[in-house]
Amino acid sequence: MNRVYLYSDTFLNLLSLVIFLNAQNITPSNIKPENYTATLFEETINLKITPSKNLLPKFYQKAPSIFKIMYYVYLSSHPNKELIIYYFYLNFLKYHNKVINMRNISWVNDALKIAKYVSHEAHKLKGFIRFTELEKHVLYAQMEPTNNIITIVSAHFKKRLPNEYWLIHDTKRNIISVYDQKDFYLLDATNLQLNLKTTSHTYEDLWCTFYDTIGIKERKNNRCRLNFMPKKYWKNIIEMRNNHAQSNK
Amino acid sequence: MFADIINMVFKMELKEKLQILADSAKYDASCSSSGNSYTSKKGLGSTSYSGICHSFASDGRCISLLKILMTNCCIFDCKYCINRRSNNIKRAIFTPEEICAITLNFYRRNYIEGLFLSSGIIKNPDYTMELIIETISLLRYKYKFNGYIHAKAIPGASVALLNKLGKLVTRLSANIELPTSTSLKLLAPDKNSEQVTKIMGYIKEHQSKYFAPAGESTQLIVGASNESDYVLLHKSSSMYEKYALKRVFYSAYIPVNQDKLLPSLKIPPLKRENRLYQADWLLRYYNFKVDDLLSEEYPNFNLLIDPKADYALRHLEEFPKEINTASYYDLLKVPGIGVTSAKRIIKSRKYFKITFNDLKKMGIVLKRAKYFITCNSKYCLAPSLFKKDFIESNLILENKTPTNSNFKQLSIFHE
Repeated sequence: MNRVYLYSDTFLNLLSLVIFLNAQNITPSNIKPENYTATLFEETINLKITPSKNLLPKFYQKAPSIFKIMYYVYLSSHPNKELIIYYFYLNFLKYHNKVINMRNISWVNDALKIAKYVSHEAHKLKGFIRFTELEKHVLYAQMEPTNNIITIVSAHFKKRLPNEYWLIHDTKRNIISVYDQKDFYLLDATNLQLNLKTTSHTYEDLWCTFYDTIGIKERKNNRCRLNFMPKKYWKNIIEMRNNHAQSNK
Repeated sequence: MFADIINMVFKMELKEKLQILADSAKYDASCSSSGNSYTSKKGLGSTSYSGICHSFASDGRCISLLKILMTNCCIFDCKYCINRRSNNIKRAIFTPEEICAITLNFYRRNYIEGLFLSSGIIKNPDYTMELIIETISLLRYKYKFNGYIHAKAIPGASVALLNKLGKLVTRLSANIELPTSTSLKLLAPDKNSEQVTKIMGYIKEHQSKYFAPAGESTQLIVGASNESDYVLLHKSSSMYEKYALKRVFYSAYIPVNQDKLLPSLKIPPLKRENRLYQADWLLRYYNFKVDDLLSEEYPNFNLLIDPKADYALRHLEEFPKEINTASYYDLLKVPGIGVTSAKRIIKSRKYFKITFNDLKKMGIVLKRAKYFITCNSKYCLAPSLFKKDFIESNLILENKTPTNSNFKQLSIFHE
């Protein structure tokens, strides 16, 4: 029987489980979130470990770059991310901080690649997120990122728009990040009734005018644009929305 | 005030103004928002060291800053410029408050990283500079805007104004436009190259955390005058040394005006521009010298092959390089291996012997590199194929993409 170990879906719980399994010398055949349905040849085990309170800050202090890689892999949508984190952790224990140079080990290589992909997408979204203004000057943005990068971009906007009220909504996962001029909080938006009444569209209009003007038609290069700004993001980028609608027809 | 009077007399919608003044600004290549990192609890905005691209225009260029002119009225008559006074085009002028409103509202909605403000010369250089300073002061002091601001210094304006502007902006620049003073005299008779270099020297001297913290840049137009790549590259390399520039931008000349002094190009020399950028990177990050790449006898880049591969093919005796022993700068000379890859190789080979398979795993692109390297003394093709003709033809074929190739693939079947 293949043993699949379950964790309730937070990074802290996953990390605690990984550390526990290693300490007990257990080799899991897989690690999955609690809502996982086992296949015929699998047996699920939920250890329900209570994580120690300051595990994350302690770990971060010990090895910040390793912590960041594991956290970013956790945020990814890779189907095998838990096992990759597990084996990356084992290699970290073996090679310490040098593990980030051991790209000949495929678990390590995978972890580094996925972490890079996640940070890359977060960076792109820092540019591509578009706020609209709701009543009372509240800013609201929707996004559909491939990876779960809402915390990374929220931290960025906390620094950038410290004196605004803003909401960032991941419509794919239905999580909403709410900022109250002090800090941001993540909420599950499944049962929230959102009142999204936008105010005037003057500046959206001006922006689209600017966008259409700034391209030099003698240099038109659609392939290059698609490379930098993939179509999957167009839906929520206001100046591309018309193009998006056209290409869907 | 002058701008107010013009606006009163010629009523114009904000939208039309934005259209005119963005259209006149679009030929400036620079749009980077990098080089400075600043956050503050007070006010609006921050800057990020790597810079952030917010959108990409239909020409594939990044849109990071709101790139506009204060006004496209100009007392100069530079032959290549769309805004020259002898052109019969629609003219407009923004008021400082209008620019503030657009910048702040775009910024809050995360459309832009900041403002890039340049201007045609209205009345005289000092007056134009004062308008720019007034606008940016409003943004910084009245609206507490901490985002990125890139401003163009106006040649011929007083030093006191330049000093004032430098303290307000993130990046300050002046465009040299043409590489030699002869072509400047010919095509931009009102522009004075000494005035531009004076500005660049002043910025270099005063640049600090409080004065243009992201440094300065400049722009060269490619293809409006008849200088070779060798001359252009020497010009930028000497400017990098002399003025510690962050960037030299190359802008393929786009024929916006008819003039007997200008070349009659149909298509802008985009490939040439691309080659110059590649070479520029080789100078700044790859330890190449201009004379490694070009010479009096070989003054222009090969448009079919990138400068580094071209160098490698002309210096084949230095290759192949052994991945497991070559020095950092030797690795950088291999076509297809960049700064990231070279660093990754150096770090990894301390811990294991690198094979071709490892290189692939490490994310190093072998498409071009494979012809110029060995791994543990093994060459990935038959050693007899390490010949200039063979590699050259393969490199050229790989560069061609079926969509934009001008030649037909030879077919063994008759059509």
